[in-house]
Amino acid sequence: MRSFLIKLPSAVWVILLMMTIFTVVSARYLTIDNIVNIIQQNSILLILALGATLVLLSEGIDLSAGAVLTLSGVTCARVMQRLMDSGSSNATAMVAGVSIGLLTGALMGAITGGLISIGRLPPFIASLGMMGVGGSLSLVLAESTAIYIHNPVYAFFGETLDKSIQLPLMQYLSMPTFIAIFVFVFVWIVLYHTPFGRYIVSIGGNEQGARLSGVNITFWKWMVYVTAGILSGISGVTLAARLEAADSIVGIGWEFDAIAAAILGGTSFAKGKGGIAGTVLGVLLIGVARNGLNVSGVPSLWQPALMGSIVILAIVFEIIHSRWREGSR
Amino acid sequence: MISAKAPAKIFTAARFIVLIVVCIAMAILTRSDEYGFVFLNGTNLLNIVRNASILIIIAVGQTITLTAKDVDLSVGSVLSLTSVLAAIMLKSYGVGVPVAILAALLVGAFLGFINGVLITYVGLPPFIATYGMLWVLFGFAYLILRGNVIYGFPATFRVIGNGHLFGIPMPIIVMLIVFIAGYFVLYHTTLGRRFFATGANIETARMSGVKVDRVVITAYVISGFLAALAGLVLIAYTNGSEARIGDNYLLPVLAVVVMGGTSLAGGQGNLMGTLVAALIMASIHNGMNILAVPAIWKSLVVGLLIIAAVLADQGMRQRA
Repeated sequence: MRSFLIKLPSAVWVILLMMTIFTVVSARYLTIDNIVNIIQQNSILLILALGATLVLLSEGIDLSAGAVLTLSGVTCARVMQRLMDSGSSNATAMVAGVSIGLLTGALMGAITGGLISIGRLPPFIASLGMMGVGGSLSLVLAESTAIYIHNPVYAFFGETLDKSIQLPLMQYLSMPTFIAIFVFVFVWIVLYHTPFGRYIVSIGGNEQGARLSGVNITFWKWMVYVTAGILSGISGVTLAARLEAADSIVGIGWEFDAIAAAILGGTSFAKGKGGIAGTVLGVLLIGVARNGLNVSGVPSLWQPALMGSIVILAIVFEIIHSRWREGSR
Repeated sequence: MISAKAPAKIFTAARFIVLIVVCIAMAILTRSDEYGFVFLNGTNLLNIVRNASILIIIAVGQTITLTAKDVDLSVGSVLSLTSVLAAIMLKSYGVGVPVAILAALLVGAFLGFINGVLITYVGLPPFIATYGMLWVLFGFAYLILRGNVIYGFPATFRVIGNGHLFGIPMPIIVMLIVFIAGYFVLYHTTLGRRFFATGANIETARMSGVKVDRVVITAYVISGFLAALAGLVLIAYTNGSEARIGDNYLLPVLAVVVMGGTSLAGGQGNLMGTLVAALIMASIHNGMNILAVPAIWKSLVVGLLIIAAVLADQGMRQRA
């Protein structure tokens, strides 16, 4: 029993503890609808947080993720709208829009990564600069408002499946969740079963050592940011599909949530420690807290202060837990 | 020590050149046939420095925490909460001006103390500790004001924001005092050397007898105190406060500190660099205002200039 308590990551315990408290406090909390809701609402944050984890593992930071998310949604919506206005079919417009959205993410990632790997800028500065660039371009392209998209083919990517498949229980499955699972599996394979993944961890763990053993640091570091950019692009395109609109400021602050989720999941800034399974827990932790505060009727005035306290307490608990784990060895 | 200082001087020189280039560029861009070089006008230059003052006051604290340990993401919220507290004390409770100022500064220092304790004795990663505090403190500021704006402070309080001393605006005077004190502490005291030693290698510092936990806590206390001070000067100048007043300072503060050459890896604080970078940032903003650059383009211009400034700076460093 004791070893079981110790083996599971502390984030699992924090999540279970919070869920217990919310269940006691509110009768509306522990329902299938609400649990599914938590998963659906946080799928998109997970995609972003996976990118943040890869970047953190390479001992970098990407502050531009939220701005790239916004910009990808906006470019996707602009192209889609333009094509539909000129008479293209919904499907064609969707394919073109989504491609442009993902390309935007890749391009922004390529610029940030290029500045960091080739230009040797500190990741903080390069991504902060690109955050400004992405934020401005989103405002300019969306004319400071939201672009509404009426495209049923595209909207499918943001919906629950009951709208397209007439089978029971389909309201519990949603496309953003499938996309997040797909991205998770993809990142898992890349990180743990390809040379690229090994290079990411070795760049973060010991850049000099990796360089000396012949790894092309410049290229692989650049690729880390390109990958993170594509993941931001996927989040942006999926979010716009879910909201059926691309808002010009929707992503502000998401980068910090994504980084916080990665750190809550056990990825640390230094030495390439951590992994993407922990990030899933980190995202769930943030998601369960935010949803629980809402559903259990905590006044919105209190929510920021409580969210901050939960984040701090979760990490405090993790530290106690890891000391306990070491002590029991 | 001398060998470590010599390159630091070269870096700062490179940044001064960037500042001068930015100013010349702005002066030429904003020249008009009717008014001439409006950018170089004495009032305008004073304006730039005054606008940079709030940023510099906070950034001095951030430079110190980054030298000794790591980032302080809570500065914007510390500024919001302490300025809201001061505003409430002055407006709703009729507390005397010196008492309100002192109380706000003490609260700021205390919040920094909490950050420091969370990072050292509790052992939280600084990013998470101060990010959590960012939300907690903003949450309290928000709870206190419930989304309202509070404005109209006594004239005796407003002096620290809109008064003048020998014709120089008070924010600049406060900023200069903070900067000189910060410079003295960081480069000419034992405490300053301990900041550098702890940030460069915490284990080595610990083994050579530095009480590293206390040093880190001190750094965060200074940061909290200065964020509170900046908040007081800011609300005295604008004559109003609200729960989000500090939100817009976090990223610019981090930008100028890192542009100034302070490394996020610790142990490499460059206070003069911070000052110059803040002036570069303020000059850019001022130039854009004179040129009436639309608001939606501003963050693009600032983003590109941050990147360009650091790239130019690195290029010059490699030559030197």
